[in-house]
Amino acid sequence: MEDVMALMDYMEASGLVARYGIHATRGAYVNSAEEAVGFAGKKAVALKVISEEAMHKTKSGMILLGLSGTEQITEGYQTLSEKAKRLGNYKMLVQEMAGSGIEIIIGGKIDQQFGKLILLGLGGIYVETFRDFATRVCPITERDARQMLYQLRSRAVIAPDEKTERVVTGLLMKASKLFYENDISELDLNPLIIYEGNYEAVDIRVLEDKK
Amino acid sequence: MAAETGKDNDIREYADLTPIMKPSGVAIIGASRNPDKVGHVIMQNYIDVGYSGRLYPVNLNDEGNIMGFKAYSSISAIKRPVDLAVIAIPAKGVPKALEECGKAKVKGAIVVSGGFAEIGERQLQEELVEISRKYRMPVMGPNCLGVMDMRSRVDTLFLPTFKIDKPGIGGVSFASQSGAVGSSVLDMIAQEGFGIASFISYGNAAVVDEVDILDYLMRDKHTKVIVFYMEGVKRGKEFIEVARKVTKIKPVVIMKGGITEEGAKAASSHTASMAGSHEAYEAVFRQFGFTEAEGIGDMLNFAKILDTQPGTTGKRIAIITNGGGTGVLATDALYKNGLEIARLSKGSEAVLKKAMPPIVNVRMPLDMAGDADDVRFDKAISTISSDPNVDALMVIALFQTPGADSRVAAKLISYNAAAAKPMVVVSPGGSYTEVHKKMMESSGVPVYESPEDAARSLRALIDYYTYRGYNGKKNR
Repeated sequence: MEDVMALMDYMEASGLVARYGIHATRGAYVNSAEEAVGFAGKKAVALKVISEEAMHKTKSGMILLGLSGTEQITEGYQTLSEKAKRLGNYKMLVQEMAGSGIEIIIGGKIDQQFGKLILLGLGGIYVETFRDFATRVCPITERDARQMLYQLRSRAVIAPDEKTERVVTGLLMKASKLFYENDISELDLNPLIIYEGNYEAVDIRVLEDKK
Repeated sequence: MAAETGKDNDIREYADLTPIMKPSGVAIIGASRNPDKVGHVIMQNYIDVGYSGRLYPVNLNDEGNIMGFKAYSSISAIKRPVDLAVIAIPAKGVPKALEECGKAKVKGAIVVSGGFAEIGERQLQEELVEISRKYRMPVMGPNCLGVMDMRSRVDTLFLPTFKIDKPGIGGVSFASQSGAVGSSVLDMIAQEGFGIASFISYGNAAVVDEVDILDYLMRDKHTKVIVFYMEGVKRGKEFIEVARKVTKIKPVVIMKGGITEEGAKAASSHTASMAGSHEAYEAVFRQFGFTEAEGIGDMLNFAKILDTQPGTTGKRIAIITNGGGTGVLATDALYKNGLEIARLSKGSEAVLKKAMPPIVNVRMPLDMAGDADDVRFDKAISTISSDPNVDALMVIALFQTPGADSRVAAKLISYNAAAAKPMVVVSPGGSYTEVHKKMMESSGVPVYESPEDAARSLRALIDYYTYRGYNGKKNR
């Protein structure tokens, strides 16, 4: 039996996580610079090229952050469209800029032996330096979620107070349930930005299991 | 990666290992008069340990009498019920012998012979699996040492008795995928002074695997603590199912080989075990309350505290010592392991001030000075162990000091026998210490060579009972 894994459409993925109570940063697909400007209003936005070939957006330069005003957004839109041409199929996503905070990663993947695993780790620029991750088998209990957080060396940075702790463990429980209940082979909430007892899911990647 | 692995595993019942572990009739296929043959050593061991059931040597070419027992040319010639067949013949002949066992309604088999999946002979191994299925006969091995059960006195280990010390009877059961780790650790356990209930070396795990063994040991009433060395599991989902249950009943100390990439390669060529990422194993072990050992030292250290001591979830440890410096090291060791020094109650302090000579400063760690004798140890331990601010005791007994002699060891033994709180003893030293260590350990006092080992072991005990949601009731 061969599995076919396909990247779930971004807006679909963001709808899926929303059904499990995880709020993604507000965003929309746009077909023109004008639409992007219209979406932004007075706020700063990010523009992202969504395509199978541009999974690592930052590395491939397929993302622009902190654009505001008609001029910046229009110019950004054109730059990215030019770059994206060689990709064939792609979509342009505009998103509100997230607040600044600590970046964490919540992910799901399948282990050959034990099945679905949920993962929590420190994100951002320190991912590779610290490799600070905790993993459990799905589904997890509240105690598991807490222990995952407390297993991290960066626990005090990620969740300095009880309120933030509850936010993170809550997110873990929701993500674990989502991953466990759906035919998906990979889940990547990276980054999730944690700040002042709240969070935003800035990027969502879901690999569907299409048999 | 096969995404559906989780759902489509070959779910089967757990194999019942009772006929293998507690057989009433054993056939040794490959038994021989020739002392160089494995079949000879196995026979000799059965005779040496005094197996009380019936023993049937089976040898194709020898129908006379082997080592005083009537020999049979085949298993079907025995004509009496045989629970267990131990097969120790060259790999090629094993499928045929196993098939005959199945036909003769043998209830379980151990294939000690090597020469299967571990050297790439997967097809030959698959034949064993099919025969086992066909006759619903659990098969352990191939490529293993087999089992020892201290009560049924089954012993299939083909290691000459003079080469390996065997532990006494006790509550620890030790399972090892690897025969080499198994036999060397067994030899070491014999020095540790705690006894075992059973030993299982299961080799390639063609049929009987980790899941069956954990399930069996969970149900075995003589097993209080399970110690497991594995290089991988064959059935992840079922392993989790058993894991969920077993640690609620008894502690499982686990050590996994092949945690580094190169180590994993060595493991796969070794016993052909199934892969799975190390992080996943670690996740499973943590999630389901296993006590993870990072080395053989940990394995023995954790086993003996879990075997002998009552549970606690509290982290306040009282240190009682007859040497100041070791008390300092012990304090460091506690904090390095996430534990803390107990603060004595006012009441205990007052009692101790009266009981101790003026040179003793009554505070934690309690340094009773080098002339502390059994009377001082007794006062300190009896006062501190009943202090409500104390969850467990670390007693440092340095036998090099002028005050400490066998009477101190005897006091620790008598306290341990009635203790409601866990106690560990730290006694580093040479031959004089060794004598007292043996005395104490054979009476169920866990003795460690260093404060670090003692603190790590206390931490392991506390973590286990915390996982279990221990509620203060004495569980044994």
